[in-house]
Amino acid sequence: MTYQPANDWLLYNTVQFCRALRERGLLATPSEAIDAAMALGLIDLDDREETFLSLRSVLTSRPEDFPVFEELFESFWARLGRSSQPRKIVEREGLSTGARPSSRNHGQKGLAFFLEHWGAGVSRDPEPISLPGASNTESDAEKDFSLFGADELEEISRVARRIARRLARIPSRRWETARRGLRVDLRRTLRQSLKNGGEFIRLSFKRRKQKKTRLVVICDVSGSMDLYSQILLQFVYGLQNSFARVETFVFSTKLERITGHLRNNTYRHALKRLGTDVRGWSGGTLIGVSVAAFNFGWPKLVDRRAVVIILSDGWDTGEPEELGAALAELKRRAGKLIWLNPLLGSSAYQPLVRGMQAALPHIDVFASLHNLASLRALEKHLIL
Amino acid sequence: MREEVRNIQELLRRQAYVSDAAVATSLYLAMALGKPLLIEGPAGVGKTEIAKSLADALDARLVRLQCYEGLDATTAIYEWNYPKQLLRIKLQEHASASAAEKEAEIFSEPFLLKRPLLEAITDQTSSPVLLIDEIDRSDEEFEAFLLEILSDFQVTIPEIGPIKATHRPYVVLTSNRSRELSDALRRRCLYLWINYPSFQKELEIVRAKVPAIGEALSTEVTRMIQAVRKLNLAKTPGVAETLDWASALVVLNASQLDEEVITETAGCFLKDEADLRKFEAELSAGRLGL
Repeated sequence: MTYQPANDWLLYNTVQFCRALRERGLLATPSEAIDAAMALGLIDLDDREETFLSLRSVLTSRPEDFPVFEELFESFWARLGRSSQPRKIVEREGLSTGARPSSRNHGQKGLAFFLEHWGAGVSRDPEPISLPGASNTESDAEKDFSLFGADELEEISRVARRIARRLARIPSRRWETARRGLRVDLRRTLRQSLKNGGEFIRLSFKRRKQKKTRLVVICDVSGSMDLYSQILLQFVYGLQNSFARVETFVFSTKLERITGHLRNNTYRHALKRLGTDVRGWSGGTLIGVSVAAFNFGWPKLVDRRAVVIILSDGWDTGEPEELGAALAELKRRAGKLIWLNPLLGSSAYQPLVRGMQAALPHIDVFASLHNLASLRALEKHLIL
Repeated sequence: MREEVRNIQELLRRQAYVSDAAVATSLYLAMALGKPLLIEGPAGVGKTEIAKSLADALDARLVRLQCYEGLDATTAIYEWNYPKQLLRIKLQEHASASAAEKEAEIFSEPFLLKRPLLEAITDQTSSPVLLIDEIDRSDEEFEAFLLEILSDFQVTIPEIGPIKATHRPYVVLTSNRSRELSDALRRRCLYLWINYPSFQKELEIVRAKVPAIGEALSTEVTRMIQAVRKLNLAKTPGVAETLDWASALVVLNASQLDEEVITETAGCFLKDEADLRKFEAELSAGRLGL
């Protein structure tokens, strides 16, 4: 193996290249830069493909990094003064600039409306479609929530309770020492027995750790979303005994923490009171600002043991860059980031909204929430 | 292209592993820089196969650690041999050694059960290939155990202290991306992404791995699989499935593909009922270029 130290010009450019990559979000720290410089000393620098493949191997760590890498490699290669063949250009998807669809039931009434009408039923349609109570059949599972009568919303709590029972008893795969447990902790027992000349007087046990997942729900309650927000919150609160902690936030243009109001069983009453407190506001949704406010205000709620659910249709009137950055920050700390979008239920929907486009790269699970089937499907995502 | 890179490509070819420049370059760098190689890609594209072929090519021992959720230090790194420790305590009951001496003795290397990771770094004769397979199946706590081994090639046992590798293993990690790996782990590895092979490459692989298959049949099989991959199925067949199917066709003495043979053997490369139905519909509609 021959190692030739890289010359100064090459070294300088390599470091610049790594810095450029780092600015674009790649994991190219000084230690990667050192590896890159060493790699360049080990390969054939006249071979463009080999240089490209080598540096890509050192400086990227996921396929999503490749487009950025390819782009910046181009200028790196050019600065080294080597001839460059044109590379294929990565196609960019067109972004939709369409207007936000109007609400299914009511216009832009927002947070105040949501809080006032919390749990008050959604059957304000002139002719509510009546269906048998135990809606467990295939067709009911597929029926959109917006077509549900108030009595049928009861079914949601039932689904939640059923799932809660299953979630409650998922032990972790890891063990912890305990006074009593299923298995003898041999390592500890043996260590303790040494005091007694190797006689087992007291046994140490171990048992499965309990999973302690936290659930953070951030709900969009602007006009088009309040129906789904109500359903999700109702569902989540049916589950709250299965989690170590459930935290709830609602937002439209600003973020509100409503955990305390929902905790006790009289939350409907509490919400009414809250509804009158809420300052007046109108207009669009600021998802990015709200998520950023959450990151800033409650950073300790989110760690690797937390599942974060954001419920929104992605119609953000703020800057998509801000949303992207806020979500990236959230994703970095959260165990799992789930985005529920009720519009995903309609087959024609394409997540082309600018806000949604900015959000997608940071989301672990992008799922729908528009009928009972999607609610049941949520169960598996709640397990960390 | 560098001589060494070409050599690796040639060595792998002799193990009937058809590689390309990306694979060979990454392997070369991983070996030259002494860094682990993290290989990601869809299921069945031959990620694990790289490590096996590398071991064969280098004539090195392959130490394999299959990851699963809840995998912990006692199954992956080391465990104390409790029965042996107990026996020793009993035997020495009346010995004059002090308690501290007895303790030091039973917590020493002869009482250690080596699990794959410790096994890989204590090989006394030569560098083995350490394959940490499907790392994404393990949980994040386990990744933390790996960090020391991956960066310093050593294991620290509280009772003994650090054990350093006598011969640095060549480490290959594979992941199906079922979850995101931590940045700490990614940073310690070189990265290689493998996708489904092109028609030409897959044809080469089929001919190398299933030599009994005729030229015409191998072309048909490869073309069919390439078409199936475009169908947007729940479980897209990987190269492993192509090879299974090719071997099955050889066993059945099929000389060419027709609808009947395909329907009978589709289970070799489609492992999902809905996929099978979709495939059969496409097949009978003649949209798969048969």
